[in-house]
Amino acid sequence: MAHITIEYVIMLPILIMQIILFPLTASWLMNIWVDSRRNLALQEVASHLGSIIQQVYFTLNHETITVGSITQKPDVPPLIENYPYIGNATLKTVLDPTMNSSKVLTITLKLKGTRTTATTTVLLGPNVVWRESTFISNSSNACIIAQKFANKTILLAFGG
Amino acid sequence: MAGSTIDHLIAMTVFLGAILIFVGLFNQTIQTAILYQRNKYIATKCSDLLDNILLNPGIPTNWGRSNVIPTSFGLQDPEFTQYRLSPFSLLRLVSASGTPVTYPKLGLVCSNTTIGFGNFLLVPYTKAINYSLATRLLGVNGSYGFQLTITPIVTVSITKVGSNPVTLSVNVKGAGFPLSNAVVSYCLIIVKPTGGEGQYPSFTTNYGTAYTNAEGSAILSFSTINEAQDSYVLIVYVHHGGLIGTGYYEHILNKENYIVPFIYDFGNEGGQVLLAHSWDVHGGDHPAAITYNATFVILTEDFTLREMPLGAGRVGLLNYGNDPHTYEIITIPTYNPGILVVTYRKSANPKDSGVVLMPWGISSLAFPVVFGEDPSSKTWVATDIRQVLVGNVAYQAKLALWSLEGYQVIG
Repeated sequence: MAHITIEYVIMLPILIMQIILFPLTASWLMNIWVDSRRNLALQEVASHLGSIIQQVYFTLNHETITVGSITQKPDVPPLIENYPYIGNATLKTVLDPTMNSSKVLTITLKLKGTRTTATTTVLLGPNVVWRESTFISNSSNACIIAQKFANKTILLAFGG
Repeated sequence: MAGSTIDHLIAMTVFLGAILIFVGLFNQTIQTAILYQRNKYIATKCSDLLDNILLNPGIPTNWGRSNVIPTSFGLQDPEFTQYRLSPFSLLRLVSASGTPVTYPKLGLVCSNTTIGFGNFLLVPYTKAINYSLATRLLGVNGSYGFQLTITPIVTVSITKVGSNPVTLSVNVKGAGFPLSNAVVSYCLIIVKPTGGEGQYPSFTTNYGTAYTNAEGSAILSFSTINEAQDSYVLIVYVHHGGLIGTGYYEHILNKENYIVPFIYDFGNEGGQVLLAHSWDVHGGDHPAAITYNATFVILTEDFTLREMPLGAGRVGLLNYGNDPHTYEIITIPTYNPGILVVTYRKSANPKDSGVVLMPWGISSLAFPVVFGEDPSSKTWVATDIRQVLVGNVAYQAKLALWSLEGYQVIG
């Protein structure tokens, strides 16, 4: 009788629990993988976007260019695992006096429909101005807009 | 009944084991996939970072030509666009290859890019940009490590093939192939053993051009050199279809007492160079006072070499130790890349002569640059290369980048 109790009262629930445990473990591991993958992909895009913005800024900042504008369509994927992403940026002046009023542009990307976000920072000169704008990855007009004015100010914004 | 229980126990244990094995293997597969993606990301980052360094002059744009500490790091020549680097920004990078050199009299500790005897490039750490600052300005401190190497593409090697008359073979190679029919412009400086005690060394200059043959070699013969009495240096510029390379050959009689040039200051109109007695820097046997005669040679736009006069302190006498007047500061009044040539002789004996060179701008003697940490012990290193021009001389820029955040994916 004692054996039957051990078999049916203890062992069977444990076995059933293990059957549930198996797919749960698989799901947990898959979630970690998917999150890491999306996170890395979004981080790569953010970093590349930051690098493009920096290069656009330094191209226009050259002394030979007095006024002008650039529209750069970045070579970033419109979707990451079928999800579009949106980007915003904020510009802050570096308070460290040794940095001579350089400005830091913080770009934040968010993968729509998920909790995945990625942030990158780009160091730009004191003559940069950021216009509040949003980068929508799956928009056909997604781009980076840069405009240099006669007073050497360079306006940057996302387009699309 | 007992058999059935044992069956259950075994089944449960096997099932538990299977789950653990599954978790372990699956986890390993996932980690490998994530690592692959992370490495791909580092490769993209490497390419972006290299472009950001090479296509950006930094802030302020002329930081290479002043004592200013930049607030944004970039090596592009501000006077040009594309992959053209400033020879003076590169000059201000702390070299990762040489052992630091100290000049105790003025408390100078210098970054050292010296290549062999007589080819000095010493920049005080107070004027140089170190790796730590560069990583902060690039926004990668704490997250990535890197090493930037800039090496000349055209290799110009000069070997002596005869002594009477002195015959030198100039061998020019591109990226693995000889550069035939290239124009070789040269400047020969011979230190003559003339003048009495305390006189400054006298030298003659000889300019000319030649062409390389199908094997990329040009033979230059100089009947005016007497190797037993004359120290000399041959500086060569080679150009062919937009590719420019440079090389040099030195014959030095006196290596016991010589001049050590240190870059002392990057002024607005030019630089200051401190000339010191070698005994005060490296020590040695038989110290003696030396006299010197400095000249500055630049490469003109028609690819010929030309002397440019220097001002005060161009000639002088240097003592050593506690004697008065152990160093001199001279001014190079330009930011055109060139070569400072300092001829010297033992004050008491004109036959104990020599000549040392210092590039003003990294490209004028095709010095390589190694900046950053050593990547050899790093786990996974991404590299990328670009062909660049530094003061018209063709170089290859290579960036090695690695992550500092470890390789743990979970936990």
